[in-house]
Amino acid sequence: MLKIQEIRELIRLVNESNIVEFVYEHDGSKIKMKKAGAHVAIEPAAPQTIAKEAAPQQTTPVVQAEPQAAVVEKKEEPKQEPTPVQADNLHKITSPMVGTFYAAPSPDAEPYVKVGDKVKKDTVVCIVEAMKLFNEIEAEVEGEIVEVLVKNGQLVEYGQPLFLVKTE
Amino acid sequence: MQSETRKKLLKLFAEANGEFISGQKISDQLGCSRTAVWKHIEDLRQEGFEVEAVRRLGYRLKSAPDKVTGNEIQLGLKTKRLGWNVYYEESVPSTQKIAHKLAHDGAEEGTLVIAEEQTAGRGRLDRSWHSPKGTGIWMSLILRPAIPPQQAPQLTLLAAVAVSQGIQEVTGLVPDIKWPNDILLNGKKAVGILTELQADPDQVHAVIVGIGINVNQTREHFPSELASTATSLALEAGKPVNRAQLVQMILSKFETLYDQYLQHGFSPIKLLWEGYAVTIGKEVVARTLSGTVSGVALGITDTGTLKLRTKDGDIHYIYSADIEIKK
Repeated sequence: MLKIQEIRELIRLVNESNIVEFVYEHDGSKIKMKKAGAHVAIEPAAPQTIAKEAAPQQTTPVVQAEPQAAVVEKKEEPKQEPTPVQADNLHKITSPMVGTFYAAPSPDAEPYVKVGDKVKKDTVVCIVEAMKLFNEIEAEVEGEIVEVLVKNGQLVEYGQPLFLVKTE
Repeated sequence: MQSETRKKLLKLFAEANGEFISGQKISDQLGCSRTAVWKHIEDLRQEGFEVEAVRRLGYRLKSAPDKVTGNEIQLGLKTKRLGWNVYYEESVPSTQKIAHKLAHDGAEEGTLVIAEEQTAGRGRLDRSWHSPKGTGIWMSLILRPAIPPQQAPQLTLLAAVAVSQGIQEVTGLVPDIKWPNDILLNGKKAVGILTELQADPDQVHAVIVGIGINVNQTREHFPSELASTATSLALEAGKPVNRAQLVQMILSKFETLYDQYLQHGFSPIKLLWEGYAVTIGKEVVARTLSGTVSGVALGITDTGTLKLRTKDGDIHYIYSADIEIKK
């Protein structure tokens, strides 16, 4: 079993890399880390939570050690998180599935929407693709795009916020 | 769309299996007069069917045209719900676009959009798909599964298995599936599957499975830049393949797998998929917009995600990428 220090080091390295998931197995114990969006809920019922041990992270790494399952979790709101007052009329468009975020219908095309664009409920704002299934995401609300939270080509998690919309 | 009378008539001919059926029997089954029967037969002849009429014996279907209208597809179709509502046009920009509109307007599950030719066929990321007239199968199938959107990608693997089984049954060729759903024959691409979703965040409204198959193209049909990477079933099998029969078989396999999936989930489909998988155990390169990962493809997870191990022993889970198999 790895020491907490070593796990911490691993979290740091995984976090700095492009790795999305990392599994380490040795002598019957297993550590699994998965990068997730800051808003993805993590099973709260894990036997031990040692969140305090974790170094500050930009993302949310999950460490699961088996057989003694432990979850290391650190949540941090995105830097540009609006103040609660503003948040009242800000709607988050979230991803309905894990997949790749596409801002435009093809590599050469203009993005579906950009900051400042007005959207209607049925305006297509992006595509999320997994295993060649393409999901055109609609705004679901009427308003103005105030922020694009992810980059073209980025892997997004289930429930991860993609856009902030100022509703009308 | 096919009238109910037409569907019944095709069913009778399919059951007769090339034997004569009396005009009286047809008239009884269809619930119309002998004159009306004659009129329906004339319509079929107009559409390219060869129907023999002999006094006292009745009518006999000698051949169906090499087309993929509702007539040919429903003549002998063994499914319960897939393919009984066919939207056919000789030439369309893209069957996928039409299917999207039909699905949006409430088309029932199993509705099939099919054409002899696509003038603007498209694949992943709007890449164009070469679909010349009368040579291939260009179709889009509308499904309405009661599953959460995050499970919908599994249907693309299911589609690949259905098409592979259909091809194997009709031609004897054994296709390879390259993750997630490219279908290869001798390493060359013969089938493209593009699946699109209409969904709310928590509910699937429709899944539109676009399937393009190179069936009877000869070498001359492929532009030179595709010659080394694309092939057709006829080129591989060494003989022409009946397109309508292949569509029927794919729909039939699809329905069986789809029912299994809805009842038991992805695990039975995973086993079948692995049976055709050429990716597993091979060195592959996964290219995405955010980077490239090389490693050994270990297999797929219980949800269909590709599991890859790099040289350093790191495990990557691939949700979407272009996969190249290293020689």
